[in-house]
Amino acid sequence: MSRFDPIESLTDDESLAHYGRDWTRFWPARPEAVVFPRSTEEVVDLVRLARRDGLKLVPSGGRTGLSGGAVASSGEVVVSLEKMRELVELDTTEPGLRAQAGLPVGELQRRATEAGLYYPVDWAAAASSQLGGSIATNAGGIRVLRYGMTRDWVQGLTVVTGTGEVLELNRGLVKNNTGLDLRHLMIGSEGVLGIITEATMALTRPPPEQSVLLIGFAGLSSIMPVFTELRAGLTLSAFEFFDRRSIEYVAGATGEDFPLDGECPYYAVVEFDDPGQASQERALELFERLAEAGHLADGTISQSLTQAKELWRWREAISESISPMTPYKNDLSVRVSRVPEFLDALDRLVSEHYPEFEVVWFGHIGDGNLHMNVLRPEDWSIGNFHAAGRELSPRVFELVRQFEGSVSAEHGVGLLKREDLHYTRSKAEIELMRQIKAAFDPEGIFNPGKVF
Amino acid sequence: MKILVTLKRVVDYNVRVRVKSDGSGVETDGVKMSINPFDEIALEEALRIKERGEAEEVIVASIGGDEVQQQLRTGLAMGADRAIQVSADGDVQPLTAARTFLKLVEKEEPGIVFLGKQAIDDDANQTGQMLAALWDRPQATFASKVELADGKATVAREVDSGLETIEVDLPAVLTSDLRLNEPRFVKLPEIMKAKRKPLETLSLEDLGVERAGGIEAVSYEPPPQRGGGKVVESVDELVSELKSKGLL
Repeated sequence: MSRFDPIESLTDDESLAHYGRDWTRFWPARPEAVVFPRSTEEVVDLVRLARRDGLKLVPSGGRTGLSGGAVASSGEVVVSLEKMRELVELDTTEPGLRAQAGLPVGELQRRATEAGLYYPVDWAAAASSQLGGSIATNAGGIRVLRYGMTRDWVQGLTVVTGTGEVLELNRGLVKNNTGLDLRHLMIGSEGVLGIITEATMALTRPPPEQSVLLIGFAGLSSIMPVFTELRAGLTLSAFEFFDRRSIEYVAGATGEDFPLDGECPYYAVVEFDDPGQASQERALELFERLAEAGHLADGTISQSLTQAKELWRWREAISESISPMTPYKNDLSVRVSRVPEFLDALDRLVSEHYPEFEVVWFGHIGDGNLHMNVLRPEDWSIGNFHAAGRELSPRVFELVRQFEGSVSAEHGVGLLKREDLHYTRSKAEIELMRQIKAAFDPEGIFNPGKVF
Repeated sequence: MKILVTLKRVVDYNVRVRVKSDGSGVETDGVKMSINPFDEIALEEALRIKERGEAEEVIVASIGGDEVQQQLRTGLAMGADRAIQVSADGDVQPLTAARTFLKLVEKEEPGIVFLGKQAIDDDANQTGQMLAALWDRPQATFASKVELADGKATVAREVDSGLETIEVDLPAVLTSDLRLNEPRFVKLPEIMKAKRKPLETLSLEDLGVERAGGIEAVSYEPPPQRGGGKVVESVDELVSELKSKGLL
């Protein structure tokens, strides 16, 4: 017998370890139990039970997070939404769909495509992420430039609050100016306000054929002019940048030859609408002009979808290629126009304090979002390297503050960035967040110790 | 020596092909079109031969409407010296293609005609062989390695039992298999240069090609839908399921 009956639950060590953590490995997985509700009503029952018995609940999706938002390390009960994965309704006129929170995002994308529609928010872990988790973390990824973040696609939410109240937020309406839009408080709340059990998501028409450019910049100062020109002249879906070091690591890990000379300090993979000859011509003209202006030194364009995929690999494979060097990672953002200046300042900061460290840069330039990866030198122990990272962090974040940027652009706060929130958010803001949390969850049963 | 490489415009390998609702063919409207991957490999090999100094000129040729100029331009950007479009509308069957290439062979007198082993749209695997017969020259098909010396080509062929290495006298027809090489990416500056390279347009009539009409497509239909998967609860259930389907 379990106190959760008739709701399915697991308490064996293997399950606790599996469901108690996300993609981070900094905290032990020590939940008391994992429960698998199958309906909004069962989630309500769990909240009532938690209030009665003083349990803490950790809402849990695909657990692909990178900030520990779904980690349960102090005897909480993990509420896994994975058994709630039904697609309730697919509406081709609106167009949109309503689904339970546990539907994998990859599945959502596939179902939309099958109906001749498109769910454009996409990131490396989308296939194993779940809808509810993607909303609670406001997932971004590689096509934010064109389509925005998950927030921009949420049209309605069913939420269970900390008092067991069921809220129907916005009910799929396009227009609804009736007071505070609580839906937007839930998006990106990382499970501290309530549990999302169902969502209505907007869909769109699929974009026309895409081509991929791989371009090499003459220098740091060329990145913004190139981005500006290409965005003005083409319909961009992605503008993803990386540095020369990234290429070396990807080439080492995949055994592929880089299609360009590899002499440029920075590169970008650019995806754009390419329905025919005209767009192709325009891309070439732009390249010619930017090459003449001395901004671009090299470039190639995909001639087939196979080549498009191969070009994307040079951006997509970076993270896994550098993982053996257990990088100290930061997911930072500043205003788009300040990216080059910010990158330069960070580079100088690292080389000043740790000249022996290598930094690999990649990110979503079009969103002002940089992924900074400091690599562990081979002769450094992981312990010493982490200590150096901890020593480096306040300096990095102080720079973020000076640039009026964000210490977590798309990975959220969770446990990882909790102590650093103040670099980006004011005291007054954090206090208001706490008050909002108290209004939704007066007894503090949801995701204790996370975010603020 | 000249090398003539043929390029066919086909639905991109990565596109999920859809049959037209009336069953009259395959949907190509708004579908990504590319060079037939085997032809691209043939061109890559021709370019490498030229870069080794074993050929002087690489000519790319394609049969079809003006849309094939896009694939010819790609071929020029990869490094071919000039291009020939043989304009023709409608269905071009392998025998028509072979007769057309024979006319180009008579005109250009190449040492090698390099084709893909087959085009991925109709999978006919006939044009190269027919051309060799019409031209009355040797053929080395399914090439996975090509070496040239003393007016001969030594070609490793992919056959069912492994690799077969043969030697043929040039001029000859070669057709490429998948593992021959990995085609290069097109550099943007090369695309600019390719715009100034010559692209000649001829027609089937100019060349005096008699169209073949031996094959008539009766109907097209998609493959049967695959049934959904099934989640089993235990190893025992899996084993008995497999046994019941005669798979164990």
